[in-house]
Amino acid sequence: MSRENAPVYDVFVIGAGMAGMAAALFAAARGMTVAMCGSVGGIDFSTGPLDLLSVHPVAAGTVWKSPWQAMDALVRDCPEHPYAKVGSARTREAMDAFCKSLAQMGLPYEGHAEHNTAMLTPAGTIKRTWRVPRSMWQGAVALEEKAPCLIVGFKGLKGFSARQIESVQNPHWPALRSAQLFFPGFRGELYAEHLAQSLADPEVRRALAAVVAPELNGEQFIGFPSSLGLYGGGDAHAHLEEMLGAKVFEIPTLPPSVAGGRLRAAFERYLPQQGVDVYSQKLASQGALLPDGNLRFDVTGLGAAPLQGIPESPVAEFQITARTAIHAGGRFFGKGLQAERTGIREPVLGLYVQQPESRDAWHAKQFFTPEGHAVNRSGLLVDAMFRPLSTAGEVAFANLFAAGSILAGQDWMRQKCGAGLAVSTAWCAVEAAHSLIGGGK
Amino acid sequence: MNFFNVTLTLSLALCLSGLLFRVAVWVRRSLPGSAHSPAKRVVYSLKETLRILFSPKIGAVLLAFFRDSLLQLHLLQKSPLRWGIHFTIFAGFMALVLMHAMDGVTAGLMPGYEPTLDPYQFLRNLFGVMVLAGLAGAAVRRWRNKGMRRTTGSMDWFALALVGSIVVSGFALEAVKMSSQQVFERMVEDFSPFLEDEELAALQAYWSGQGVVFDAGAQGKEASAAMQEQGEEVNENYCGSCHANTASAFVSRPLAMGIAPAASALDAANAHETLWYLHVLLTFFGLAWLPFGKMLHVVTTPLNLTVRRVAVSSGPQEMAAGLGVDACTHCGACSAACSVLPAFLAMGNRNVLPSEKLISLRRDAAGRLSDRELAAYAEGSFICTECHRCTEVCPSRIDLQQLWLHARKELITREQADPHGLIVRRTAAAWSAYFQERIPQGANVVDTRRPVNLTDRRESFWPCIQCTTCTSVCPVVAAADDPVHELDLTPQQIMNLMRMGLKDLALGARMVWSCVTCYKCQENCPQGVRVADVLYELRNIAAERMRPEPSREDEDTQKGAQ
Repeated sequence: MSRENAPVYDVFVIGAGMAGMAAALFAAARGMTVAMCGSVGGIDFSTGPLDLLSVHPVAAGTVWKSPWQAMDALVRDCPEHPYAKVGSARTREAMDAFCKSLAQMGLPYEGHAEHNTAMLTPAGTIKRTWRVPRSMWQGAVALEEKAPCLIVGFKGLKGFSARQIESVQNPHWPALRSAQLFFPGFRGELYAEHLAQSLADPEVRRALAAVVAPELNGEQFIGFPSSLGLYGGGDAHAHLEEMLGAKVFEIPTLPPSVAGGRLRAAFERYLPQQGVDVYSQKLASQGALLPDGNLRFDVTGLGAAPLQGIPESPVAEFQITARTAIHAGGRFFGKGLQAERTGIREPVLGLYVQQPESRDAWHAKQFFTPEGHAVNRSGLLVDAMFRPLSTAGEVAFANLFAAGSILAGQDWMRQKCGAGLAVSTAWCAVEAAHSLIGGGK
Repeated sequence: MNFFNVTLTLSLALCLSGLLFRVAVWVRRSLPGSAHSPAKRVVYSLKETLRILFSPKIGAVLLAFFRDSLLQLHLLQKSPLRWGIHFTIFAGFMALVLMHAMDGVTAGLMPGYEPTLDPYQFLRNLFGVMVLAGLAGAAVRRWRNKGMRRTTGSMDWFALALVGSIVVSGFALEAVKMSSQQVFERMVEDFSPFLEDEELAALQAYWSGQGVVFDAGAQGKEASAAMQEQGEEVNENYCGSCHANTASAFVSRPLAMGIAPAASALDAANAHETLWYLHVLLTFFGLAWLPFGKMLHVVTTPLNLTVRRVAVSSGPQEMAAGLGVDACTHCGACSAACSVLPAFLAMGNRNVLPSEKLISLRRDAAGRLSDRELAAYAEGSFICTECHRCTEVCPSRIDLQQLWLHARKELITREQADPHGLIVRRTAAAWSAYFQERIPQGANVVDTRRPVNLTDRRESFWPCIQCTTCTSVCPVVAAADDPVHELDLTPQQIMNLMRMGLKDLALGARMVWSCVTCYKCQENCPQGVRVADVLYELRNIAAERMRPEPSREDEDTQKGAQ
């Protein structure tokens, strides 16, 4: 595709996960022209809640009620953590802006002013998170009050057992009961997305209510696996509450979950309306600095893996030129980093990746060690403006920024800081890119 | 009984018994969808015919005869060019049959009829030219039009050639007779045996002056005016009542002049007799062959058009269906319009095309298909999408769609279902055993015959993390009440089999065969696995292994299709 007359964007966002979506959102809000590309996995694999920070230090597994106190401790103990560069003020600003936009997209989030919310996981354990989708909020309320509550599971839906939730929680929450039911119209193996699809039909909701109602014994709360509608518009949710006469809430399911799909759908609808050119399921395969200082990237189809008889290198479908770029390509699953025999590589620009000296040091001896593995803290080193550094500690490109899990010095899965890290570093990267190109132009 | 009468009687007998044989076939043959006994068919058809003939519908029958059989307006509607070509041949040939071939019967209806008098001499030439021009048009059309050339077979060329040679031999006969001394002498002997030599010479000079060239010696010589005058007088007395000036034979006369240098040699070889035999035999052969070749359509097509206009479609339809099958003129219009024509181009199976499938259907009803031919016929039958286009465009108004629908039902009962129909009859495990026995030679490791090969390449599945996104977004899985029971495996489970190199296990899984290729799986895969492409490729591999080994001829056909 020839793009001779293609526009030069203010910013090109590499990656369509939580960080990429946030970066595109913030950049568009600042009036910048934005293009973004990336695979959909990152955001599809979200289960709904937005974590800020709840575990530190990971070795001890200390869970914090206040993410802000946790952040202070984290920055003190691990100054290389990206949060140290963001600071709590900008984090709060970024999360507020992000949640406000989500509400505008039709995905409202709930939470407490200062502290994390406790919520149920599909394994029956408790997770603390910063912001909870409204569809899951009543679960947090019920848990807080230990109110009489019925958890409904569906026979054939893998990775979600109402009985397990009941048995894990009963010692602390005796008023919690469970029922394992057949979902109307489905037999055998179930997939949450199909249930969500079918619940668009009020008849199915009525049939579901008819199955659930006899199980109720005065409970004021009913928890379902996250499947009450595909887009989170709340129709099915409200309808069920009305028919069952109780507060209904969703419990996250294993990824890829319906809740993640709702986030993706919301962004994919909203960003183009904000003028963002979204190239879904496309990857930036190679980038280069042009003589005029702009960055140019080859963009290729995801899965355009070399075929027999076709040269090994992925064929560029088109190119995108931008005055700045934000690398939010994620780690290995997002393809921002590549793990190879000889080490970890950043494939688009060949950026320096901070990593253990050899492959032997990537993992600890015990896979489930609480400390986590060194490989999970690898990534890009950045300066105060979130620009990746070269080996020598110098800025690699004056107009390239990085955000999200590709950054070094963090272990977001164990620290439970994924969304906060993504959103707050995206905020900072956009801020820096915006000031670089001259601000409010 | 002379030669002419013997051969005429013989060919007429052959023609009539052939026609009877055809009708007997309609009575007895079981085409797909046949359900009634021969007796019931006959009784019903006779009753229907009588009912129509003695009802106001007779008006419709007459109208149909006038519109469809004589004017062929049904062709005009489809294509003015095709109508022009066909009507020219039809009108010219029918006129020749009535005015010329059957003049023994029809002479009484034509005032002052003599074949060598005008306007009949002129008309014969005109009709002959019409036929030849129409044939040339038909030949060019069949050759130039890519779609038509595809379906034009030896039978079509043969029919064109036969009609053409009847007319050409007629022209040749007329031209040779004009230039034959022998013929002149025989005529003189028969009709004016007492002419003086001088009168004879004058007559000969007169005819030579008219441009007839049998007297090579007279040519170039200026006959005296007196001789001319005498010749004209003799002509008027003895010949004029039967022979007009040959000038109106606007094809034969130039032809006679053209062969003039060879006239005496041809005459010595009795060319006029040879050509007479040739012309008569070709004509009678045409008559005798009529019920057995594509020229049968001159009877069946008008009949079918009439039946389809007036007959009701309830009751035993076997006779009507038999007539319909025989009404095919193999014009190729259906195949040119066929919506699965690309499948033929890709596969080379002629049975994909309706005009060719009909031939197989006919042969199958007669039990004349080999196993391989039957498989090809079944394959073609199930590639059909029942889009109704062939039936829509058929100028003979054959109810093709009905035939195809019945044929498919019947093929299924004979275990000749398409892969989609067969796949549900065994379990995925049973199919796996079946498919493993049919791995094509050299294809058991990496099949390099296909331009794109995903399933044999491990790289295609390396990125798969079994996240179930493909299954979650799949509308086919969503539509199943119980995916495991109805589909055997879900898309991500099939990808897992691929990761493990267990391709043969997946070939018979109903998920593979139920995929609607909406590509949601592939569009949503976070890892870029080409899920839908893989499912489609599996289906192709399985279909290939279910097909009998291709024969040499099949491969040739396939080349020819390109």
